[in-house]
Amino acid sequence: MSRRSVGELSRYLLEGRISQRGCINGRRLSSRTVPVWSSLRPPYALRHLHTQPEPAAAAASSQPIHVPLRKQLKEQAKQAKKQGKKKSKGDSQTVDGWELTVGIEIHAQLNTSRKLFSPAATSFNDEPNSHVALFDVAMPGSQPLFQKETLIPAIRAALALNCEIQPISRFDRKHYFWWDQPSGYQITQFYEPFAKKGHITLLARDGISTEDGESVTVGIKQVQLEQDTAKTLAQTGSVHWLDFNRVGVPLIEIITEPEIHHPRTAAVFVRKIQLLLNTVDSCVSGMETGGLRADVNVSVRRTDDPSKKLGTRTEIKNLSTIKAVEDAIIAERDRQIRQLEAGGVIAGETRGWTIGSKETRRLRGKEGEVDYRYMPDPDLPPLVIGNDLVQRLQTSLAVLPDTELDKLVNHYGLTPKDALSLITLDNGSRVQYFYRVLALLESKLQAELDIADLPEVKSYSTLAGNWILHELGRLTTYKAGPLASGDLSFTQLGECAQVSEEDLSQLLYHLYRKHITGKVAKELLMAVYLGELEGGILEAINGNDLWFKEISQEEYEALAAEAAAGEDKVLEEFADEQKYPQGKLMYLVGKMMRLGPTERIDPAVAENAMRQWIERFHGR
Amino acid sequence: MSLCARCRLSCLGQNLRPRQTTATASLSTKSSPSSTAHDILSKPTWSVSSLLPSESHSAPEIITPSQLHHLLRLSALPLPKSPAEEQSMIATLQSQLQFARAVQRVDTKGVEPLRAIRDETEAAVKEMTIGLEDLEEVLAKETLVGHYQRPRRAKERIESDAENWDALATASKKAGKYFVVESGKKAEAGEP
Repeated sequence: MSRRSVGELSRYLLEGRISQRGCINGRRLSSRTVPVWSSLRPPYALRHLHTQPEPAAAAASSQPIHVPLRKQLKEQAKQAKKQGKKKSKGDSQTVDGWELTVGIEIHAQLNTSRKLFSPAATSFNDEPNSHVALFDVAMPGSQPLFQKETLIPAIRAALALNCEIQPISRFDRKHYFWWDQPSGYQITQFYEPFAKKGHITLLARDGISTEDGESVTVGIKQVQLEQDTAKTLAQTGSVHWLDFNRVGVPLIEIITEPEIHHPRTAAVFVRKIQLLLNTVDSCVSGMETGGLRADVNVSVRRTDDPSKKLGTRTEIKNLSTIKAVEDAIIAERDRQIRQLEAGGVIAGETRGWTIGSKETRRLRGKEGEVDYRYMPDPDLPPLVIGNDLVQRLQTSLAVLPDTELDKLVNHYGLTPKDALSLITLDNGSRVQYFYRVLALLESKLQAELDIADLPEVKSYSTLAGNWILHELGRLTTYKAGPLASGDLSFTQLGECAQVSEEDLSQLLYHLYRKHITGKVAKELLMAVYLGELEGGILEAINGNDLWFKEISQEEYEALAAEAAAGEDKVLEEFADEQKYPQGKLMYLVGKMMRLGPTERIDPAVAENAMRQWIERFHGR
Repeated sequence: MSLCARCRLSCLGQNLRPRQTTATASLSTKSSPSSTAHDILSKPTWSVSSLLPSESHSAPEIITPSQLHHLLRLSALPLPKSPAEEQSMIATLQSQLQFARAVQRVDTKGVEPLRAIRDETEAAVKEMTIGLEDLEEVLAKETLVGHYQRPRRAKERIESDAENWDALATASKKAGKYFVVESGKKAEAGEP
């Protein structure tokens, strides 16, 4: 009675027409989960707002008058394609007749407790200018003092990027005058960096541009240690406030070979580096907190240019989001091509990008390397890295994301997309939660079943993966509503404050063993999330008698026959064994569900019964 | 600076490539056995004056005003206030270049740059090496986290004596806890 019809909802969603019967949101309060929740009836008290007495109904297919939502969306997509008016990003990866070449420099703040050349503490959002050593502000007479522990995250990063660690490297001065660098030079590793010749491989599942095929390997030219600059807070007028807490904080700069040819792939590269650095504990704050910044070098050349020389490149500085990397490259590539096609030339220069804009803008002419007057730093001895340290860090290197993804896909049976979401969500905590839930679920199964009867891991790990990604995700989509208590929060170890692993594994155990239906399980999950379950899952199931009492095989068969009655035309379509009309089968199964007591029917079993009935009907 | 360079020049004298017709030829003197110390010292073979501009040298390198301004900006030095000052700056630079070019002519092929004078013995390099032993303690404090037991640095509040001074006291201008700087109307240098 309080349920919105699909037609009404789709009118609202697709055409922006508001219902005559009042606010949709307000009504959703009483019937949030339209088709799913309705199978639970009083006395199941936790849905006290839920007053709908009639059984299920409600799947889109049961509303023959309206065109199903999915079909409408399909229709719209088709329309858009026909008009081809809005070029999607997929089309902007290449420009006919031109080749794009991109090289990337990533600056990442190392996860250390002290600065690179002074024992002052690294900090984030502490009181301004509270962690400053004499050397950090270039007080005359102060000397750099290399902090050995910086090497741990630095070497780990280089190893994760498959670099060769150099036994001896050195520090150089890069000169420029700016207020964020009191000494007038930045100490970096220009001539002899500590790590060289690495590479990382980007895979299709990472989301690279389709033009790059299954995988693309990007060479890492070098990784160098260097100092960060002070933080500037621009004030009105020409005034700037400076916080020297950040000056001298250790960074690594990762420099790629110019080997990337598609904007999306460049963005994916940055994302993968971020994940990689986080996994090996080298860099713990991401782009959003300024822990990672990317500069991209962009050039274009005509694909038929016989000399194959790279075009003049421009550098876009300080890109602070993954999306900005892709957008800025596309904008800059298109600008360069326009310029060249109009007979102009590209000036080597530094350009900037503002998030949301359509064009890069010129910041300044590029300083040549000579302008930085690089020179070896005479105050610093060479950096000599012991092989025993490198060996230890190599053997104890964290399991890398690709290895973990492989296992999630191959062993646990998740789709590559789900696996990637799982390990990136909540900064890596969601996947820890997955392992915890899975372990509990496994032990419950082991306790109940003989070793010989134990099901294949994939059969329940995919279920767990599904629920932890999608069903948990669905919970928070209600967060705008008044009943939700906000986002799910996970600790680094994978504990969830709202839905404990104990509750979820219990729920999944009963679902897996078919003790409860999916609908009931979803209902229970929502109740757990909202904190409405007092005595736990088992008590809620018992107290409200939510156990799944499946109908018998005979009843399934009877239902199949009943559903098939009068559907001669549909049944004809099954005559040709070569072209099995799965859609029609599901239509008949849907009919079975409506005819019978839905909450007692397992759709998979119903499908099987229907299939067998049809086979018999056609005498096979 | 010039003294130091001169010393190095004479030390490296054997390697000087005789590109310039002046002075350099006489550097590789082969004294006959009969010559006395007095003979050798009575006739100077090389003079520091050869590094200064003179009639015998080819015309000084052209330096444009815009090159001069560029260099001044890179060095954060004030720009000339008059054409006369500009001209005199260019002349100075030209004479300095005379010297710099002479230094650059030294053939340093195969010579490693001297960055600083340090003990380069095997023992010293060994002492300088940062090995496992130096960091064992830090590594021991790490914790292993999650399903794959990945190492994580334990966050701890560190105290550092190096911070025990009032950095802000050195500020000529401040706002609360911040240093204050004012930029010109147009930033021409710019952070890299």
